[in-house]
Order: sequence, then C-alpha cells, then structure tokens
Amino acid sequence: MSDAVVTSAKSSDAPQTRVQIALRKPGFLIGAVIIGFSALLALFPSFFAPYDPNFIDYLAVRQPPSWAHPFGTDMLGRDALSRVIHAYTVNMQMAILATVFALTIGVTVGALVGYYRGVADMIFGRVVDAVITFPFLVLVIAVVAVLGPGLINMYIAITLVGWVYYARLMRAEVIAQMGNDYASAGIVMGYSDRRIIFRHLLPNAITPVIVYWMTDMALAILLGSSLGYLGLGAQPPQAEWGVLIAEGRNFITTAWWLSLMPGIAIVITGLGFSLIGDGLADLLRPRG
Amino acid sequence: MAGLQYVLKRLALMIPTFVLVMIIIFLLVRLLPGDPAIAIAGDKASDADLAAIREKLGLNDPLLVQFWLFFTNTLQGDLGRSIMMRTSVSDVIIDRLPTTGFLALFAVSLSLLIAGPLAFVAALNRGKWPDTVIRTVFQVGLSMPVFYIGLILLTFLAAKLRWFPVGGSGDGFWGQMHYLFLPAMTVALYTSAIIMRNLRAAIIEVLDAEYVQFARAKGLPNRLILGRHVLRNALISTITLLGLSIGNLMSGTLVTETVFAVPGLGRLMLEAIFARDYPLIQGLTLTFAILVSIVFLLTDLFQSLLDPRMRLT
Amino acid sequence: MTRTLMAAVLAATTALVTPAMAQERGGTMNFARYDGSRLIDPIYADRNPDIWMVGSLFDTLLRSSDDGKSIVGGLAESFEVSEDGKTVTLMLQSGLKFADGSALEADDVLFSLDRARNGDLGPWSGMLGSVSDVTADGQAITVSLSQPDPTILSMLATFNTSIVNKEVFEAAEGATDQDKSAAIFASASAGVGSGAFYMCGFEQGAAMDFCANEHHWEMGADGKPLPYLDKIHFEIIPDDATRILKLQAGEVDAVEFVPFSRVAELDADPAINMNLYPSTRIIYSPINTRETRADGSANPLNDVRVRQAVNYATNKDALIGLVLQGAGQPMTAPLMSSSTRLASKLDLYSYDMDKAMALVKEAGIEAGTKVTLTTLAGSSDDATIFAALQQMWAPLGIELVVEQVDGATRGAKNRSGEFDIHTYGWVDDVNDPSQVTGWLGYSPVRNAVGTGWESDKFNALFEASGTEMDQAARAQQYADMQKIYADAAPLLFMYETPFAVAVSTAVEGYVQTPLGANIFSRATVSK
Repeated sequence: MSDAVVTSAKSSDAPQTRVQIALRKPGFLIGAVIIGFSALLALFPSFFAPYDPNFIDYLAVRQPPSWAHPFGTDMLGRDALSRVIHAYTVNMQMAILATVFALTIGVTVGALVGYYRGVADMIFGRVVDAVITFPFLVLVIAVVAVLGPGLINMYIAITLVGWVYYARLMRAEVIAQMGNDYASAGIVMGYSDRRIIFRHLLPNAITPVIVYWMTDMALAILLGSSLGYLGLGAQPPQAEWGVLIAEGRNFITTAWWLSLMPGIAIVITGLGFSLIGDGLADLLRPRG
Repeated sequence: MAGLQYVLKRLALMIPTFVLVMIIIFLLVRLLPGDPAIAIAGDKASDADLAAIREKLGLNDPLLVQFWLFFTNTLQGDLGRSIMMRTSVSDVIIDRLPTTGFLALFAVSLSLLIAGPLAFVAALNRGKWPDTVIRTVFQVGLSMPVFYIGLILLTFLAAKLRWFPVGGSGDGFWGQMHYLFLPAMTVALYTSAIIMRNLRAAIIEVLDAEYVQFARAKGLPNRLILGRHVLRNALISTITLLGLSIGNLMSGTLVTETVFAVPGLGRLMLEAIFARDYPLIQGLTLTFAILVSIVFLLTDLFQSLLDPRMRLT
Repeated sequence: MTRTLMAAVLAATTALVTPAMAQERGGTMNFARYDGSRLIDPIYADRNPDIWMVGSLFDTLLRSSDDGKSIVGGLAESFEVSEDGKTVTLMLQSGLKFADGSALEADDVLFSLDRARNGDLGPWSGMLGSVSDVTADGQAITVSLSQPDPTILSMLATFNTSIVNKEVFEAAEGATDQDKSAAIFASASAGVGSGAFYMCGFEQGAAMDFCANEHHWEMGADGKPLPYLDKIHFEIIPDDATRILKLQAGEVDAVEFVPFSRVAELDADPAINMNLYPSTRIIYSPINTRETRADGSANPLNDVRVRQAVNYATNKDALIGLVLQGAGQPMTAPLMSSSTRLASKLDLYSYDMDKAMALVKEAGIEAGTKVTLTTLAGSSDDATIFAALQQMWAPLGIELVVEQVDGATRGAKNRSGEFDIHTYGWVDDVNDPSQVTGWLGYSPVRNAVGTGWESDKFNALFEASGTEMDQAARAQQYADMQKIYADAAPLLFMYETPFAVAVSTAVEGYVQTPLGANIFSRATVSK
C-alpha cells in the first residue's frame, strides 16, 4: 500500500469532453480494454475455461503446454489455463473488495476530520501514525489467525489498515478545498455542514483519491497473492494467482509454465489498473 | 529555535502513538489461537505441564496486570525474555537490527539509482516510446510477488551464473553488499516502480508549470531549468514517498528475508509469530514502529531543509 | 624451518598416511537446514531440530545398533539386566573424556540421569518413570527400577539420557537448571558433552558450527578418534526452493528436507546424490471421534463405519504418487511405522470404493455431509492432500472443506478437540514402540492424539505391556493393540516417508537414522 502523488483538480470541464479526451489516450484505452476483458473473465470464467479447474487427473500431472492444455497441467493434473482463468474471479474480487471498504471509510473519516479539525483531528493523527508505523503484514497475519483464514477475513484485515491511506489523502484535499471561495460561500449562506461536506467539498476533493484507488487495486491483488503464498488468503482448491505461483515455484526449473502463466496474468491486470490510473491522473490534472 | 521546538513536539506526539501500538499488539498476540507454552514444552507435553509453564510465564495473570508489567518494563528498556530464544528480547533485536537496516538502506539506494534517471528520461520523452517502455517494465516490477521474483533472481543470477551467493548474509561492508544485493534488488524493483511513477508525474508537473514555461520562453537552456527547478521539486516529493514506503519496506522484509534466508528482523518476526513468542512479537513490533517513526521525522525535517516554504508546524 | 623440525613433520605425515590410505580426514562440511536449533540439551530438547542434533554433541550409555533392532554399548562397554528385570548394571569405559579433555566419570553419569528423571525439569522425565535409584561403584553404574521395564535399555540409548558434564553445569551462570543450560549453550564452548563434536559457534536462527572433539572415544577406520571432519557449518534456510538452489550452486554440501516433488529432479543431477534414508516417520490424520463436535453439532465421524469408509476411500498409492512422487509406502502398521520394533503387517484399508460406499450407506450418511480438513497454511503437501481427498471422498456424499492454519493453531485445536480431521506426522524418538503407541492410542496420555478415542481394553493392554519382560508376550500385546486400533480407525492412515537429504557427490558417510538423528561422525567431504 502506498501513497501516490496526485494533483488536485478542479472539475471545470464538462464530463462529455473528458470522456472524449480519455478515449483519445491510447494508454487509458488499453487499460480500459484490459480491465474490461478481465472483468468478463471474472464474471464468466466457465464460459472461457476449457476444463473444470478443480478436476484432478492423476495420470496427467505436470504436463508441458500442448494443444489440449495450452498452459500445461499442474501437480494434480488440473488444467493450468482453466485455473488461471478461474482465478480471475477471486483476484478481481480481491481488487475491489479489499479496497472499496477502505475507500468508503477513509473518504468519510478523512472528509469529516478535514472539515471539523480540532480534537477529532488530533486523535485521528495518532491513530494514523499508529496504523502506519505498525508492521502491516504482522497485523494481517494476526487478524487472519484470530478470525480464521479465508478471503473475507483477509479483506477485513486489509481494510483495517488500508482506510488510513485514503483518509489521509482525503483530509489533505478537504483542507486544501476549504480555502476555496465556494466553501466559504457555503458557510456564509448558512448551508448545513452535511451539505457543505458531501455536496461541495467531497466531489471536488475526491479525484486524487479515485486515482490512488486504481493503484491500490493493483496493489491489493499483489498483496492478496503474497497472503495466498503464506496460506492466509484464498483457500484451496480455489485457484488464485498467488497460490498458483506458490505452487509452481518448486518446479521453476522443470515445469516453469506453472508459475509463469499466473505471473503474466498478475502483470497484465496490474498494468490495466495503473494505465487507467495514469489516464485519470492526466485527465483530471488542472489545465491552466 | 523553531526547528528544535518542532522536533520536540514531534517526539512528544510519538508517545501516544507508541502506547497505541503497544496496546494493539499486546491484545492481538493474546487473541491468537495457540499457546506459547507449547512452543516451550512441545506438542507432546501434557496439559498439566503446559498449565505450569503458563503460570510461570505469568500468562494466567489478569490482562491488565500483564499489560502494566509489559508497559512499565518497556519504559525501563526491558522488553522481556524471548520464549523460543531463551534470551533477552533486546539482545536478539540488537543482534539482528544491522542486517535488516543494511538491507533497507541498500534497497532504498538501489531504488533511487534505478528510478531517478529513468524517471527523467520518461518524463522528458512523455508519450513517446522510451516513456512507454520504461513505464511498462516498471509495471512488471510492481506486479511481481516478492516470493516469485526473488526465486527467479536466485535461480538465474545466483545458482546458474554464480554472480551472487544464494542466501544468508556476509561479513563486513562488501560482504554484506555481495550477499544482500539480490534481496535488496528484489525490494528495489517494487519500490523503484512506485518512485518512478511519482517522480515522472512530479517532473511533468514542474515542466508544465508556468514559471518553467516562462523560463523556457526566455531561452534558458533545458539543462539549467532541469537543475534549478525540476530537480529540487522532484526530490521533495520523492523523499516524502520514500519515507512513507519505509513502512511497507519493513513489513516486506518478512517475506524477503525468508525467501533469501537473511537472518534479519523480518524473518525473526515471522518465526516469533509462528512460535507465539509474545515478548518477542511485542518487542519487534515496537522496534518496527520506532524505526518507521524516526524515518518519518527525518523525512519531514529533510523536506523543510529543501523547501524553506514548508513551515514546521 | 630447521632440519630436525622438518624431519619430525615428515615422520608425522607418514604416520598419518600409512594406516589410513583410503581414509579421508579433515575439512568442513556445509549443511543447509530447514530450521535451527534453539537449545541442544539432552533434557530440554523438544523440537526435532534440537533432538536430532543431541547425539552429535553428547553420548549415551547405550546405543541402538545400526539396523535399529537391538541395543549395543556406548559410553558403557557392557550392560546386564537382572533376572527379575528390576536392576540394570552398566560398566563405564575407562579413560573417557569430555570434549575439553576433562575426565568423564561415574559422578557425571549420576548427575545426568538424575537430571533426566527430574519431573520438574524437562518434558521427557516420564520415559524414566520406572527408575527408582541410580548408584555408582567405581566404573559400575547400577540403575534400580521400581518395577520391571522392558523399555529401559532403549531409554538408556535415547537422547534424553545423554551424559553431561556435572562440573560445567555447576559452574554455569544462572539461577535454575534451565538458565544454566541456556548459558552453557549460548557460550558455545567445549566441555559440556563427550560427543564426536562440540559446538564452537552459534548465531541464533542463522548459523551454527560444530568442531571435532579430539578426545572422542570412538575410533575410525584409521584407528584414530572419530570424527573424520574438522568442522560442520550449519546454515538455516527455511525456504525449500532456496535451500536446494544453495546446493545446486555448490555453496553447501548437503541439504535436508528436500520436498519430495524435487527428488526426481535432484536424482538426475550428476553432481548430487539424492539420499532417501529409511525413517520411522508416519503421516496420518487424527479423526475427531467424539459424539459431538466442539460447537455442539453432531459428529458424523463418531460412527466407526464412517471412519472406516474414509480410510477405504483414500487411495494411498495415488496420494503417494501425487505428494511424494512415489517416494513412500502406505502405512501397514496402524500405530507405528513398519520399521518400528513389533510393528504388525496389516492390510490397512487398501483402497476399496465398494466397501467404502457400503459402509457409508450402512451408517446412513446423507449426501452433502460437511467435514472439515484442517491443514497447515503454506504447505503445498497439505494443499495437495486436501485437493485429492476432496475428490476421492465426494462419491461418499462427504463434502470436504479445508481450513488452513499455522502449526501453533493446529496444535491448539488438537488439544481442544476443535477439528474434524487434521494433518499430522510423527517420528519416533525412542527405539521402542511404546512411545508412539502411547501417543496415538493410550487415552490418558493425550486423548489418543487428540481424537478422543478411548478403549479400556486397549489401555489395559498398554499398561500391562509396560512391565511385561517376556518378549513373546509383549509382542502379542502389541499385536492385539494394533488390531483394536486398526478396526476402530481413529486415524486416517496415510503413508510412511523416508528422510530426503541431498548431498554433493563429494560427501560420503553421512547418515540420518530412522529416528531422525543426524550422524556426522563418519562423514567425509573429499576436496
């Protein structure tokens, strides 16, 4: 998890032209196509996968790539291509569920403490420091050990830490936006706090958060994979890229395809998310 | 002395942070299923033996009593005795700290060396092929799990080509450099990808800024503009980012040190968790928190040095 | 260099070379381990990485013979059990020395055995429960027993009865025996043991060095004291793949715990000898046999027919093929490995789907019955076992789900009974079947390895066998216990595996015993 340097933006352009601009950028377009296709694979894996991903064939273990099995078979004789495809469901879910709650909580908390400051902000500062200085993997390992392994508990653990980064970003943006005329105007006109925060400040402050979200989704897949390697994420026989790589790692010299193919899937999906993120960042950058 | 005052204030603010960290880790380890007594007596021990050991370790005392003991001992610099190592936790940590510290600094230096020049090349060629190639390659680095990229590096650079040793840590500065190059490189691939992205964005932002456009229009050579404006601004954001990523870096040592068999704090932490070594987990967590906080403070100070506009408040 | 000195050196070299033409000596062996030792002390060693190193640093009075079937002399040159089975007399060799050159005397033996049977100290004291007194008269040691004990000779050949130096212990820093032991260990110096090596370097969790003990009593083929090596350097490399790369890169001479999936590959490497040492290791899975689960729900595995059915439905040969790449064999004795003494040779639930189906039908198992298999997180072997069992048991109507936990959590679940089935393994520590039988089946020890299974008949047989001095009668008792246990099936009986150690072709003479002990005393590394 990391912060991305992002620039604040004013939404002065009409959305129509923004979409048009976006589609003219090849990077953004490629990213959108990658993520779109990944989403399709994730939603309908059985349509694309040639075999049942969990079907074991003792007589055909660790076969090299062939026409029948384009990515070969694993140590249980399962079709590696089908497993990589079925993993899309878990890994794309990971990208979203491991980040979306952090995003929601972080944005809300960040906006509130940024607007009200005071004691709440002080406490917030300490909590953020404690979470950021706390070794992250230790927290995740401990939380998963306490709640039991599995994807849902992994999401909970990641969210417990991840929200802080969104909140920090949001708080800084809200404070910056507070200096703008429309915020003071809102206060003068006697709007309620809720209206000022959620109708005026938030929409203007949220763009860098959205850009960061794209990076974070790619990182969430990576993190989920690392936890899969430690046995704390997706549970067998469910295919997950990190688990697939971990399984294939022992055969790197004799059956390299087992770890390479899921590795490529991670890279491409990560690339898709960051291309969209870069595109958004370029797009939302203030032009003056 | 505003600077000194600022440092004192920041140090004071760290105290509640550390207390919070201590509370969290104290509760967390005690919620973990499993028993440190088994780590001492083994799977084969009888239940009565385990009960006796728990009593001896003080694990049957009320939580508040245990925490107070942990808290007051820590204040006096006593982190307790490691259950699995049977020695003082602080000795174990002091023993391992240099290795992990070396690894972290090495990784950060490599990241800067890799990301810095390439970010400039990418930014100055924005949208052209060098930009695309550099960004794609770094994206690959960013998307590779440590346990995988580490093994690939080991297989080819260490076992096949024999350029580097396969695992462990060496003696002396050059020995350490030799042994820790591959693990540092593995970490750096990831960190440099993040730095490169941001540095590139920061450089582009400065290049697009009005005062730089103006300087260009005046006919100032590109080199001068880069040196005067871009470099300083880019450095500020990079240092901020490096400071922030030090937490991830420390956390990442858990896996990196295990894969590369580096006897550092990260691998020790993983072992301590698996053995339910409460005092050692607590001591290590606190050490990580202190290290990361110091790095944060240093980056802030450094930033204000580079950029006088940034007030220390 | 003066002429006389030159001559002396020449003479010494000739003396060395002549009788030992074929015997390689000297040099360092680099050995990569999967886990490090934390405290190598006869009575506190409780983890395998500690236990399996005790024998290199310490000697026992007696030893297991090379084939493991009988007991031979060690520090004691002769031994005798009295007619009534209640007294053992041992004669200590004369001129024995610890690694620092100080004499090993009867006093040290008394001190060590008293320490070993002190219930307040280590976890192993129960194994000497029958010993009532140990006395010495010159070199003669008398061990008196409160009741006849058929295992006593095996116990005197077990690591926990190794002889330590009384003087070193008494001089060591520390308030308690354990503190003293830790201090001696941390100082890494000669003198505490009389084994072929002494510890001469220790870096917690990273590395360890053993140096040759020149005062060792045991002689090599060249008529000089063992060991042949000058030094062993151990490095701890937890990651399997990294550990193997270390050998392939030529940085170490040996790696232990090679994953079976890599055995064939390393076997094919001309620079590496892939050794599979016969072991007493069994891989099995305890089944919770209690009427209800820990959460109060009904436990389908309480029905013996269901336990038998899952055993029949498990194709062991297929499992051995998938997990061990063929390097193993199905369990044939229900309570122990086939190489343990008194092991029965039974047809232990050979794969038979028809029988399995008939049994679940009889037991009235409904389709979709959920059973949880608890496995070790991050273990690829366990993940493979789970995936295979899930498919194998599906036709029975059993829907197997997995729960991955770390070792500490699994241990806690085993004790609290919060599991259905979990993976587990065992290696004998003693050259006698009593330890493993007590662990797996005798319910007062640990609820029959946590299964909750309890048989009065079995327990009575086990207790009787504890004092049975008649070999044939004891063998019969063990045969009966194994029959009872096999029928009750409190375990999923899986397979036996060897110890897989890969060494460079330069290494010879290294052995891992069936009990797991690493024996370096006759190892050599040719230059």
